[in-house]
Parts: sequence; structure tokens; C-alpha cells
Amino acid sequence: MTTTTSAVPGLAEAPAWQRIETGDPAVTVVERAALGTTARLAVWPPEHAGLAAVAADRVLAALDMQASRFRADSEISRVQRSDGGLFMLSDGLAEAVRVALEAARWTGGLADPTVGDALIALGYDRDFAAIGAHRDEPLPAAVPAPGWQQVRLDGALLRLPPGVRLDLGATAKGLGSDRAARAVMAAAGQAGGVLVSLGGDIATAGTAPRDGWPIVAADRPDEPGNSPAQPVRLPAGAVATSSITCRRWQRDGRLLHHIVDPRTGRPAGGPWQTATVAAMTCADANAASTAAIVAGPQAQAWLTRAGLPARLAARDGQVRCVGGWPEQDGGTVLVPPVTRVYAGAGPRGGAR
Amino acid sequence: MDSEREYRPGQVPLPGAGGPPAGSPARPSSRDGIRHARRMSNWTLAALLAGTGAATVALARHALPASTGAGTTAAGSTGTAVSGGQAATAGTGGPQVSHSVATTSGSGTTVSTSTKTVNGKTVIVRTVHHAAYHDN
Repeated sequence: MTTTTSAVPGLAEAPAWQRIETGDPAVTVVERAALGTTARLAVWPPEHAGLAAVAADRVLAALDMQASRFRADSEISRVQRSDGGLFMLSDGLAEAVRVALEAARWTGGLADPTVGDALIALGYDRDFAAIGAHRDEPLPAAVPAPGWQQVRLDGALLRLPPGVRLDLGATAKGLGSDRAARAVMAAAGQAGGVLVSLGGDIATAGTAPRDGWPIVAADRPDEPGNSPAQPVRLPAGAVATSSITCRRWQRDGRLLHHIVDPRTGRPAGGPWQTATVAAMTCADANAASTAAIVAGPQAQAWLTRAGLPARLAARDGQVRCVGGWPEQDGGTVLVPPVTRVYAGAGPRGGAR
Repeated sequence: MDSEREYRPGQVPLPGAGGPPAGSPARPSSRDGIRHARRMSNWTLAALLAGTGAATVALARHALPASTGAGTTAAGSTGTAVSGGQAATAGTGGPQVSHSVATTSGSGTTVSTSTKTVNGKTVIVRTVHHAAYHDN
């Protein structure tokens, strides 16, 4: 992998980004650490990379300050310190909460933002890097989610009952990709196209490359030999992947992961280890991929009803393609032009 | 109270006290004023009722969660159509891009796919990044 920051006009104004040579001069690909994972931009025309990086930086910094439960100074952390009450949120956090609640409604509670206490009970209450140091601590009793129906949001006014702690992890990263893609296209005057990836949750906007953005769907990227990745083309829309093979930790001798079944308060235990879902927006895809992991044996039926292309990888390595997800390598992923939880991004970079 | 209040020269009535000062022509009688006030009250009440109803409807439509019952799965519900036409037809006007530009994988792990030239041949390089700090 070759990285450089000097060859792209304007990239010096966003020094955290590093250019990645892909072998295609028609697009510029840049990458940085952000939101606890890796953010990546692929932009055409190539000279838009600098303005794209600056626009994405603003979006990611704002989202971090709004919705990260790991930052003591974030808006959501300040809200949750009050243990319930009425709060007038910023527009950004209000949108993030609204998307999370819409996702919960759409998925019938499979992707529920009130799993905050369940995650904390499992030990995911600190920087992920620090979890390993507490592996011998006892595992507390499971804390089922109190339920998204208890949370009321009217415009920017949030009513949070005492004892309800939000975690926007099922949608926030996808929303961040959507927002960043829209911001890049606005900065570029709606010219060209962009792909934004936040930890593998991908949103696109503007005009895609001919035949679509070339991407790879990976089940276990850390063990590619055990479960082969699949290259596909994405002409428009978004793709997100949820997996129980990442962000795992041990507590009291038990292996845990970060996708919690809201009904039990324990890590989801279905047959799927990875769910990749395509949708018009990344927030939709993000919610659906989480819901698929939690739904377990019902995931295929739910995704079929939702009309979303999906690739499900079972714990035994078997792969199921649902809703028109291509069986062949290099196939095209076509998403229905409909949004369920977030309408902020679209094929023209922000059409509602 | 039927008697009209008389205003002396130089006196200025309080706002809404019933008309122009004494000496001004065509002062309305108090009976007319009461009828006027009743008409205005009726219209005000009607406006308030209509406004309250409209506000109630608007709040009910915007407040979350709405009426979907607990545990129901709404996967098949109608979503919002995105302007811009069929998603499948987008992306026909861009450049030709052959190599993968991103990988979708589990949260917190990103695979970089890039290429390099080795002995004159293009080789795809995959690099796995594991998040070293907090998730969001």
C-alpha cells in the first residue's frame, strides 16, 4: 500500500488523510482514522479529494461530538448523565436519535437504541481498547433493553425516561457515511461522485464510475482464507455490514460481541456471523444489517419482505444471497430507490 | 352595565374601553360593543379550537414513536421514494474504475484494497486495519 499526502490539491488542509494508490488514476482514494475505526473516501474527479476530505472532516467531527457515548464531552453523554428528563437537542443529535428510533420501528425493535445499559452490563462501557484489561471481572446479570417505545422525540425535544440509556451504534456510523457523502457533493457543487466508508459502512453520492463503484464484501477480513470475500459493483446507494467476528471481548471466561439482542440483553446468538445489506442510504443498510444478525433464523424472511439485497455468512462459512444480491463475483448490487429510516442522501447526493 | 361612560374633554380612554373620547362623532352604543365582543369571542374560540386540533394532529404525526406496536416487524412497510430515478440506472456517466476502492466488513475493521506493480505485474494488496480505540 502506498500512501502520500502531497500529490492531491487541497489535501494539505486535511492532514489526517493519507492517499492510497489503487492503480486507478480516475479516482483518488484517501483514508484516516475516525470514530474509532477507519474512514475512507473515493472521489472523482481526482482533484476533488482535498475539498472532500475537508468536508468529511467537518461531518465526522460534528457526529463525534453529538453522538459518541465514549466521549464525556459529547452531547449524548451530557444528556445521559441526567438519567432521564426533557432535553432540547441540537439538530444533528435530534436527527441521529430520530434515525435510530425510525430504525427500531422499521425493524420491529431488532435494532433498538435503548441497549445502552445492556452493552455496559456486558462490559462495553469504555474504550474498546481498554476492555481487555477487565476480562476477569464477573459478568453481571443481563439487562434487556427497556424498549425504544419509551423514548419520545418531538422535533428536537427528547423525553428520556430514567434508566434508559441510548446507544446509537446500529445507525450512527451509517448516518455518518450518508452525511459525509452529502457534504462532499455539496462542497463539489454536485459534480463528480464520492464513496464514503466508515469502518466498512459505505455510502455513495453523485455519479458512480461506469458499471458502479467496485467494492468488496468481506465476511472475516482477518481470516480471508476461511471465508472468501466477494467483489461486487455498487451503481448507487449504500452497503453496510454487521458482524459478530469483530469487536469481541472476554468477560468472566465468556466470549462476547457488540451486537446485542434487545430482547435478552445478551450478544445475539443466531446462525449468522456476518450480514451485509444494501439499501438506498447507509443508515438504512446499517439498521438492516444489525437487525439481520439479531433476527437470526428469521433474517432471510425479514430481508425479503424489506426488499433489500443482502449477503449472509453463517458461522459454518456458508453464504446465502438474499433479495437479488449477486451470486457471482463482480455482480452488480441494485438497491430499491426507497428509504425507510433516513432520506438525507440519494443518488444525486442529497435529494430527499 | 348599560350606561355609557362619559369622557370629559382631555380624558383618554384605556385601550379597548369602548371607543373614541367624548365629543367624537358616531360612538357605538354599549349594546353594539357587547355584541361585537361576543362575535369576536366566538370567532376566537373557533380559531383556538381549530388551532388546537391542527397542533394535536401535527404533534401526533411528528412525535416518535408512533402507533406501531411493540414487537411488530414493519419490513414490508412503504418507505420514502428517493428522487433521482431508479438506483440501478445511476452511475453510468462516471469514469472507468477497475480496482476495488473499499471493503464492507464488520464494524471496527476495514480492509484496504490497493494495487502495486511487482515485476511488471499488477498485484492486489489487502491490508486489514483493526480499530485501536473506541467505537462509536
